[in-house]
Amino acid sequence: MKRFLRDNGLSVGFGAMFLAALVGQAFAGQADFNDRQLSQGGAEVTLLQYLASSDFAVNVAENWQSEYLQFFLYVFATVWLVQRGSPESKPMDQIGTESDEQQEVGRYADEDSPKWAQAGGWRTAVFSRSLGIAMAAIFLLSWFAQSVAGLSVYNAEQIAELQDPVSWPAYLGVAEFWNRTLQNWQSELLAVGSLAVFSVYWRQRGSPDSKPVGTSHDTTEKSG
Amino acid sequence: MFRATLATACGLVMLSGAAGCGTGQRESGAAAAAEAFAAAVGRGDAAAACEALAPETVAALVASEGDACEASLNPEELPSGAVGEVQVWGDRAQVRTDSDVLFLVELEDGWKVAAAGCRPQGERPYKCEVGG
Repeated sequence: MKRFLRDNGLSVGFGAMFLAALVGQAFAGQADFNDRQLSQGGAEVTLLQYLASSDFAVNVAENWQSEYLQFFLYVFATVWLVQRGSPESKPMDQIGTESDEQQEVGRYADEDSPKWAQAGGWRTAVFSRSLGIAMAAIFLLSWFAQSVAGLSVYNAEQIAELQDPVSWPAYLGVAEFWNRTLQNWQSELLAVGSLAVFSVYWRQRGSPDSKPVGTSHDTTEKSG
Repeated sequence: MFRATLATACGLVMLSGAAGCGTGQRESGAAAAAEAFAAAVGRGDAAAACEALAPETVAALVASEGDACEASLNPEELPSGAVGEVQVWGDRAQVRTDSDVLFLVELEDGWKVAAAGCRPQGERPYKCEVGG
């Protein structure tokens, strides 16, 4: 057990922190929702009712979609975009998808390589992009969920304010939808871009997201 | 109360959107409350119409008119008619009758009319005889 926790510290640690934050969000969200219900003459809800509400769903989904967009773009963009001196970047001379030999696929795969890396053809083509595909798929699903849950919340507020509800396609053109979306995108893109640049000049001893402390600012793709 | 959220859950899980996530039952409840209000207005029964109103709406009416709800509400000033389109979103519903638009809220004791006798004002909120 102790060995399992050590070997899976990142996934277990962040999984636990995620659940703790989600529970905190549920309680804070319920209190905030009930405050708004009181001011609009609506009924208060229990925690379980809140967990099943569109209000909770949209607040969760709008953050999920932006996080997965961030990592999809980062995984995809770092194939083509580099940053001299950043441990987040690969060397300047390796821009692009690189050769089969460098990527150890097809006839360059060894016996320990994943089956689909050895297989060649469409399976290797798909597996070669599986991380980006997974991130993009979760982003699109979360964004769709945001739009559906957001529509429900928006229309309930519209009716509470004696205005007409709108259809799903119309909601995709509503300022509220894009405000929710873009306020998350801008922060994620800023965080990723600044990490790439900060890690050129600043260090975090022992972190794989940092260069070793004594490494020069010009050194690219070296972590420790 | 959170029937519309089931559509969200469907979307999250399998992109099914509204498929299999109809809002029929809750729409019936809102339609029945709107019908009860419209029927009370139609027969000039102010007491029954007041029963169908949300407490906040009654309180606002009493505060503005300075009299009890039954005395403040004049059914003759309100249009009535058969219920047509019903839209339920969260704990709110908009119900169109032949001659009126009603706004409802779902409370612990069921659907109640929050605003009635409503006329559109372009981009601005509806102007309502009651609850506006």
